Amino acid sequence: MKFVVTVKQVPATTAEKRYTADLRLDRASTETVINPLDEYAIEQALRLQESGAVDTVVFLSMGPEPAAEALRRALAMGGDEAYLVTDDALAGADEWATAKVLAAALDKLEPDVTLMGMASDDARGSLVPGAVAAIRGVPLLSYGSELTLGDGVARIRRLTATGFDWVEAPLPVVASVTDQVGEPRYASLKGIMAAKRKPLETWSLADLGLDAGSLHGAALTKVVDAHPPEAKPPTERIENVGPDEAAAKVADWLAARKLI
Amino acid sequence: MSKDVAFLAEFADGQPARSALELAAGAAELAASAGGQAVALCYGPGARDAGQLGAAGAHRAVVLGGDEAPAITFAAAAVAAVSQLEPVALLAPASPNGRDLAAALVGLLELPAFGPVRAVSIDGGTLKAEQSTLQGSVITTSQPAEGAPQPAVVLVLPNTFTPAEGGSGTADVSDAPAADAGPFGKARIVESHPAEAAVANLEEASVIVAGGRGVGSEAGFAPLNELAAALGGAVGASRAAADAGWVPYQLQIGQTGKVVKPSLYMGIGISGAIQHRVGMQTAENVVAINKDPDAPIGEFADLFVVGDLFAIVPKLTEEIKRRKGR
Repeated sequence: MKFVVTVKQVPATTAEKRYTADLRLDRASTETVINPLDEYAIEQALRLQESGAVDTVVFLSMGPEPAAEALRRALAMGGDEAYLVTDDALAGADEWATAKVLAAALDKLEPDVTLMGMASDDARGSLVPGAVAAIRGVPLLSYGSELTLGDGVARIRRLTATGFDWVEAPLPVVASVTDQVGEPRYASLKGIMAAKRKPLETWSLADLGLDAGSLHGAALTKVVDAHPPEAKPPTERIENVGPDEAAAKVADWLAARKLI
Repeated sequence: MSKDVAFLAEFADGQPARSALELAAGAAELAASAGGQAVALCYGPGARDAGQLGAAGAHRAVVLGGDEAPAITFAAAAVAAVSQLEPVALLAPASPNGRDLAAALVGLLELPAFGPVRAVSIDGGTLKAEQSTLQGSVITTSQPAEGAPQPAVVLVLPNTFTPAEGGSGTADVSDAPAADAGPFGKARIVESHPAEAAVANLEEASVIVAGGRGVGSEAGFAPLNELAAALGGAVGASRAAADAGWVPYQLQIGQTGKVVKPSLYMGIGISGAIQHRVGMQTAENVVAINKDPDAPIGEFADLFVVGDLFAIVPKLTEEIKRRKGR
């Protein structure tokens, strides 16, 4: 049983973001982390490996060369080997191009389960898992709060409007999991040392049999404007007053805006 | 290629979801500026009664399937319908089901994808999508690259469009072209566990009273329930409160829960971490009550009350009831 967990390197939540002249995020100059939602997918895969249900856990990323750091950090948490797809032609890749490239890499790796986080912290489209499944022609099990394996099948527990379902599909599958699978582990010092010796290979587009032409120049979309959000008026504060007065002031505020 | 605007219309329990009514209004608006018609792509129990979407703004309705099944299993029918219609844009609700179907279309038909958007328009035949990215630090406007295939797939958050009121008319209903369900059709529900108690649909609420770690317990939510009732709203929660088991996960607001856009959001005992903020930052009015004067929510709320929520919330409920009563 082989798992491939995809890992995206994203700007740290608190990092200051800078933009290049063509309105792309300057990923090279920004402090980065593993996409926090990918850490849950890593955790789910490692728990299944520890239980004996999974033999091999492979990490896969696409990004500029420094994204190898995110893969080393994943390998420090556990797992066996990692692959980075990096190519100058991929700068500014959109969801479709990202899915196309990951699908080509997965064709080489041939996992039973491709596991992803439910979204990336920076873009939040959540389209890559379904698009990868579509391109590879395998079933999709999305938004699992738990993933289990059975005889030739994978199952996820998925929230519904009021409760939850168990949804099942035959292997191989693409699956995504939420932050309910369990808190991700921290890398131990031993894990960090071990990660340095684990295989980490880099692939170019050509290694995957792709080129910029087959990817529509890496994007079917283009950004035509980027600007900071509108400044909000300063917060009004109510403090150092008793509960009766605070309640009356809040009610006044709501009434002035016709909210009550 | 047509100038029509298609939208994914989810049905449950025989009725169109709130998102279907909102997207019908949005698709009608965009179709009017594109010079085409709004077409509903309907799925889920009740989808065969899609004619009623005519009153919401849809000119035609194509039924992808009417069974209770994972939404992704309708992907092949959606591809067949979209290939036949060739709309200029396809609006999808930014819900798990909507995103799954949108993703399948993006992958199978090589389509440009946008969103979740905070605004979308069609100007001179070109779609423009405005979205807030990188935890709200930047607002971008994007459009399809030259030569990109149609339709542009657009994820739309709840309350971006307002359902039409007092509309009439019936949409022409037809079935999607026959298609093999393919690999996506192999996912199936093997167990279903509906909740015993009703759970509010936060995405439909125009007033939300949300509780966090400061609420302290399941019982601590009682005064929040009373405040929400007085305001005619629903109760939500932060991840900390859902993880603690004080409320079901369906009420979680934030990055990994619901993204809401009510006219009034009240954050009670919620610190306002970025992961929560991305789920409610587009609320029109934000009121926070927290005993910590330095809580991050104090930096982006419109009104910030520093004080003991257990003392203030019941008083506020009484005050609102008193004022509504006169």
